[in-house]
Amino acid sequence: MADDHPPPAEDLAPLVYDELRRIAARYMRRERPGQTIQATALVHEAYLRLAHAGTPWHDKRHFVGIAARAMRQILVERARARGAQKRWAALDRVTLTDALALPAADAAMLPALDEALNRLEAIDPAQARLVELRYFAGLSIEEVADALAISPATVKRRWALARAWLFRELSDSPSA
Amino acid sequence: MTSEQRRRVAEIFEAAVDLDPAEAARVVATEAAGDTAVRDEVLSLLASHSRAGEFLQQAIADAVPELLNDDQVLAPGTTVGTYTIRRELGRGGMGRVYLAADARLGRTVALKALAPHLMRDPAPRERLRREARAAASLSHPGVCTVYALEEIDGELYIATEFVDGHTLRQEIEEGPRHARDVLPTARELAAALAAAHAAGVVHRDLKPENVMRTRDGRLKILDFGLARIGVAGPEVGALTEAGRVTHDGHVVGTPAYMAPEQIEGGDADARTDVFSFGVLVYEYASGLHPFAGASPLATVARVLEHEVQPLAAACADLPGGLSDVVTRCLRKRPADRFGSASEIVGALHAAADATAAGGRTTWWRMHQLVVALLYVASAVFAWQIKEWVETPLTVGAFIVLGGLATVGAVLRGHLVFTDWMNRAHLAIERRRARRPIVVIDFLVAALLIVDAVAIAGVRALPSVFALSAAVGVSLASVVLEPATTRAAFGEET
Repeated sequence: MADDHPPPAEDLAPLVYDELRRIAARYMRRERPGQTIQATALVHEAYLRLAHAGTPWHDKRHFVGIAARAMRQILVERARARGAQKRWAALDRVTLTDALALPAADAAMLPALDEALNRLEAIDPAQARLVELRYFAGLSIEEVADALAISPATVKRRWALARAWLFRELSDSPSA
Repeated sequence: MTSEQRRRVAEIFEAAVDLDPAEAARVVATEAAGDTAVRDEVLSLLASHSRAGEFLQQAIADAVPELLNDDQVLAPGTTVGTYTIRRELGRGGMGRVYLAADARLGRTVALKALAPHLMRDPAPRERLRREARAAASLSHPGVCTVYALEEIDGELYIATEFVDGHTLRQEIEEGPRHARDVLPTARELAAALAAAHAAGVVHRDLKPENVMRTRDGRLKILDFGLARIGVAGPEVGALTEAGRVTHDGHVVGTPAYMAPEQIEGGDADARTDVFSFGVLVYEYASGLHPFAGASPLATVARVLEHEVQPLAAACADLPGGLSDVVTRCLRKRPADRFGSASEIVGALHAAADATAAGGRTTWWRMHQLVVALLYVASAVFAWQIKEWVETPLTVGAFIVLGGLATVGAVLRGHLVFTDWMNRAHLAIERRRARRPIVVIDFLVAALLIVDAVAIAGVRALPSVFALSAAVGVSLASVVLEPATTRAAFGEET
């Protein structure tokens, strides 16, 4: 897929923007009123970052990965800015484990999750990519499979592993 | 644990994860036989997996939709530094705006909490500081005063004068304005803008939403120099034009009030505001946006290419001169516009003077009629000359002069009639008639000279008279007409 010479960013910009819009649309699946602007703003911020960083991207797949990473950075920063870290640190381990398993994941978890994800990345970068695509960019199993060029069944199993690893990491050692 | 062991852990975990517990335990025991570290790790991960419930199953944006909402909402009663939030006033591209009480001076302020994503990079933060400083130096009744730029707990806030009233957007939506309201509004706006331009501050985002009318009827321009902070600097260079449009259309605001050079990514200066002023006044007067298109992209294309119909054509009964002022504000090239708002003030002043004098076109109309009479008199005189000295030359001069006089008088009569009955089209008609009229003036004068020469040896006095008539027609065309036109329409035509 990737060329020897990546095409200039300008040529890819419309494509990339569409892709980001698609991700934004996913964010708005539930069609919450008033969320359109925010999701678009988020996507835009991600786009500006990518353009600013001058990261050369080779193709759409590569780009989706970069975009998911940008989403992760932005959302984690937002959660940090809201003092999420402090609230997370204030939880004791028992409540923590309970809270983690609940579907209503709290933004409070994000900074700690981000750090755990960094540790996971050091061990297995592919796992961290998968988490970014699944959790931060909100891609489905099939879409992740497409983005990583592996089978959906493999994605499913690796996702289970990543979740288990991160869950243990967070419930064992909440970062202060 | 070695990377080989980790690989084994992953393999065994993936093989066991979908099985029931007993089966899984058997698989782990067989596969990890002989390596307790691997076995313990797999079991620990499987245990975590079984406890993990819905952990990470819902994408973050679905689970915590507020995170998409970049800025936090401050509840009434919250204190931020020395400010106590009373209520939210609204939200814009820069963030939310609150009504707040400043405990230090006991005054009410509008407190803008800047969206954090705009401020994360140091560059826009620094630019904002600089611009807030410039904006704070402005002191004009028509400009909302900036009190302070506050940095509280790492967040940026701008405290400004609280303006109680409604925006010009609301007025526009109420329907077209009375023609008599337009000029005072335009003048007040231009005066406030001129004060800022004189202080070296450019607004950059002048639009009806940013102009408020206070309860006692005065106008205040908001967000001076502070708007468009969100537009990134040089890094936007990587965006295609469409990207930029989407950027502005969806995130920062509408491109509908941006000048062509702004859309093209050039620098904004006073002339950029002049353009936005033109769009605003056009819309305010007529209720129609001069560049409105079906989509933001279509609007942008029209801003860049579409030549606007004169305001007078969209909106009759406007004070003369105003339409021409707006047309000049809306020129595509900055150099073709007014250099700054103070030039607009001057032009509008002239327009207002003309209006105040009543029948602003009276002198111009009189000029048109007098010249038309002059044409007829010239034709009659040429007939008399032909009677005195009948040569092919004088006969020819009479015939041509008669024809010219008829066409010229009809043209000028048409202009006077248009001014009287259908002023909206006057600018267009004047433009169309301008060249023929100048040519006719010139030819009439030339033929009078021909006649004067033809009878010079026979009748000296009429010859001199014909010469003076020729001089008179020429002077009227070169000196009087531009003067009366300028007085009536405010602009050199």
